[in-house]
Amino acid sequence: MTETAGTNLTVRGLTKVFGGVRAVDGADVTFHDGKINALIGPNGSGKTTFFNCVTGMIKPDAGTVTFRGREITGRPPHVIAHAGIGRSFQLCRVFPRMTVLDNVLVAIRRTRLRDLLAPARTEEEVAKARELLVRVGIDHLEDTEARDLSYGQQKLLELAGVLMGDPDTIMLDEPAGGVNPSLIGRIGSLVKELNAEGTTFLVVEHNMDLVMSLSHHVVVFDRGRPIAEGTPDIVQSDPRVLEAYLGV
Amino acid sequence: MPNASSTLAAPSRASTASPRGSRRTRRLVAALALVVGALAVALFPSMAPNAYVLSAGVVVLSYACTATSWNFMGGFTGYISLGHAAYFGLGAYGTGIIVRDLGLPSFVAWALAGVVVAIITVPVGIAALRVRGASFVIVSISFVLILLLVFQGWGSFTGGSNGLVVPRPFPDLMRPEHHRVFFYLFAALLAVMLLLWWAIDRSRFGIGLKAIREDEDKAEALGIPTRNYKLVAYVVSATLTGLAGGMYALWFGDLDPIFQFSILLGSYMVLMALLGGIRNLLGPLVGAVIVGVALEVFKLELGDTQLHLVATGLLLGLVVLFMPDGIIPAVQAGLRRLGPQSSSIREMTAGELAERNAAAGVSGDSVFSDAPASHPGGPTTAPEEER
Amino acid sequence: MSGSLLLQSLILGVLLGGLYALLAAGLTLYFGVMRVVMIAHSAFLILAAYLAWYASSELGVDPLLTLVVTVPLFFGIGVLMQRLLIRRLRPATLTMMSVLLTFAIALFIEGLIGFVWGGTQRRIQLPYSSSSLEIFGARIAVVKLIAFGLAAVSLLALYVLMKHTRFGQALRATIQHPEAAQLVGIKTDRVAGLGFGLGLATAALGGTALSLDATIYPSLHWHWIGPLMAIIVVGGLGSIPGAAIAALVLGVGQSLLQVPLGTTWAQTIFYIALFVTLMVRPQGFFGGRLAQRF
Repeated sequence: MTETAGTNLTVRGLTKVFGGVRAVDGADVTFHDGKINALIGPNGSGKTTFFNCVTGMIKPDAGTVTFRGREITGRPPHVIAHAGIGRSFQLCRVFPRMTVLDNVLVAIRRTRLRDLLAPARTEEEVAKARELLVRVGIDHLEDTEARDLSYGQQKLLELAGVLMGDPDTIMLDEPAGGVNPSLIGRIGSLVKELNAEGTTFLVVEHNMDLVMSLSHHVVVFDRGRPIAEGTPDIVQSDPRVLEAYLGV
Repeated sequence: MPNASSTLAAPSRASTASPRGSRRTRRLVAALALVVGALAVALFPSMAPNAYVLSAGVVVLSYACTATSWNFMGGFTGYISLGHAAYFGLGAYGTGIIVRDLGLPSFVAWALAGVVVAIITVPVGIAALRVRGASFVIVSISFVLILLLVFQGWGSFTGGSNGLVVPRPFPDLMRPEHHRVFFYLFAALLAVMLLLWWAIDRSRFGIGLKAIREDEDKAEALGIPTRNYKLVAYVVSATLTGLAGGMYALWFGDLDPIFQFSILLGSYMVLMALLGGIRNLLGPLVGAVIVGVALEVFKLELGDTQLHLVATGLLLGLVVLFMPDGIIPAVQAGLRRLGPQSSSIREMTAGELAERNAAAGVSGDSVFSDAPASHPGGPTTAPEEER
Repeated sequence: MSGSLLLQSLILGVLLGGLYALLAAGLTLYFGVMRVVMIAHSAFLILAAYLAWYASSELGVDPLLTLVVTVPLFFGIGVLMQRLLIRRLRPATLTMMSVLLTFAIALFIEGLIGFVWGGTQRRIQLPYSSSSLEIFGARIAVVKLIAFGLAAVSLLALYVLMKHTRFGQALRATIQHPEAAQLVGIKTDRVAGLGFGLGLATAALGGTALSLDATIYPSLHWHWIGPLMAIIVVGGLGSIPGAAIAALVLGVGQSLLQVPLGTTWAQTIFYIALFVTLMVRPQGFFGGRLAQRF
């Protein structure tokens, strides 16, 4: 593996301050290409703020985010999406009054000006969307409005929508939040499958079982910056991590 | 590793058949409505008993145009502009001033005024679209109010409160003929707008706009350039409204800032679109017909007192409280209830649920029930809590 | 501009700003407790002014006395409005629907005023209408001073209420974080209703103050809601002190511009300030946390 291929998503010195609180404090993280990276840490450690800075929802006050050699710091979310990073939301977000199929069809890669008035539901796009719905397992709900789905189904729908954009890196914000164990298992196997096909993952998570069983590389956050990183086993036995979680 | 989808039972025949069936019925109904509508428009002028009724018809059609043009923004993106009359007035005055000062033929001036409106809307839109929800409404109202001030104050250019007279494009026509010609002109403009609305509705642009309406941040995260999309929709909406205003100027011939830059007119647009159904192609038209006719009736019965304000306020309030989705969706829902029922996820029995879980290899009770979750969504969703 | 003219404009600006501040505070209250943009606020303002005028010209009562009736009346109407109307709206589309609903209410009130009292312009004539005081060399009309006094006292009372009473604490908690407020046992629904009533009460106070010195007509409220809404956006949506500061700044600005530009063009300052705010700092200049992408 060459040097450049190994450095997929790199963050240097990322800082975000909210009225005196340093939510993210000079964070330096390099995420491993082609692996499942996990980002864990106690509440208030700045994981979600970090996540939102990387994905463009918030403009960081300092630092850089580089993706495949291109700097994407502070670019708007749709530019980051086009660069190849897909993301899910902590509180699962779907388009409530659109059908499940439309929810997936929305995701686009760069649309040229002349494509604007092209029909949204071309055979090719619809077939691809249907394939994704089959993959996550909600194809039978194709015509249902998203707001009529259960929370777990919405999570799967959100994932299908993200996949539609063909991202090579997917960032998940607490994918196991608020869902029953069987669904967690299904999401976990989907992530493993996609990763085996080459997608890099970055997962912010609290569910330790999921993190330990899924990830190749774990980064532990505390007070706005990483304090430990390594394989799940190494991180689990690191005294600094225990300290952070137990607040000693 | 087993594919996630293989663990689910196949859907029943009934649930896949009816959505397609009802889609066919809906298309049939829409086609029928279109034919009936086109006939009504074509025959109305000959059936109108006198010139006054014919002119009322022109007014209703002009309302239909402005309501539809408003809906390009309100319906697609969910951004509610209460000051859209600003563009109506700009188009009207633009046409009048171009005819007066540049001496161009009426309809060339009209088209040119449309271009001017489009150009003006770009910086306005850029500023206004930096905010959402309530702030956007405030900005839209402010815009029409400031234009009212400017057009009243700049008497030398706009005629101020004395108004502006716009010469008729066909000076030799008698009044009934004049109304008849403009009836068809407005109908043609409306047809063009409806066609454009339909084209956008089924396009990638349209689905992107609707995603913005449902959840703007999520749409952006999925790769939609929300700022550009919103701006384009806004400029299109404003330009079409301006064209409607210009047409009105050519028909009516007499402009006054109070009536053209009128919050009331703006509220009519919203009321009509809302009443008919803002997510529907023909919603604004339906709303315009109902409200337009009602307004004419009010004028006849109640005279020109302030009571029409009371009536408008009351009607708008009632629609907001009791029929926020409008008439067309209510009718559609009614028709759906009459037709073949598709199984809703909520109607799955516990037995079927247990069967499904068994097939998926899951034990009976899950920690979280499969109850439908309600989700706030919409352009005014606040950003997530910072951790 | 000569020194004394400048001074006079400044003082008048402060007086005007005070009135704006009171009204903007009320407008912020509705937004704070229920995220509602109450477009009908200025319509009620004008209604209060009409009631004061009516009492003064038909009943011979000093307009300030009408406060005894209008303040509690408007307070009650505010509470009722929140209970019966605003609460019925679906939370998903609350902002848009509340704007439309309050817009409808504004139309309704304007129509009612016009129907009951006709469209002609009205003005209160008081025995002290034309007297003026000399302050630092500038001649200021007594009625303007009284109006300012009323506004200032009301703002002070509002401040005391918000900062030093239990209800005020509950109100501030509800504004800042409704869920957290509920968790500590505050009945946010009731508080919201009372907050609404409070907002409308400021309209009563403001309207009465306005009636002393202004010519009123049914559609006057549109000349007030525009500037008021601009003020709360410039100040920062949801922040009462922000609104008050913006009100004072813009009031003084308007007054200073009135001499060279005339009344009509001086009013544009609000819209220009709004435009600048949108381009430079959309969340407002003096605002609190609530001013986020509303």
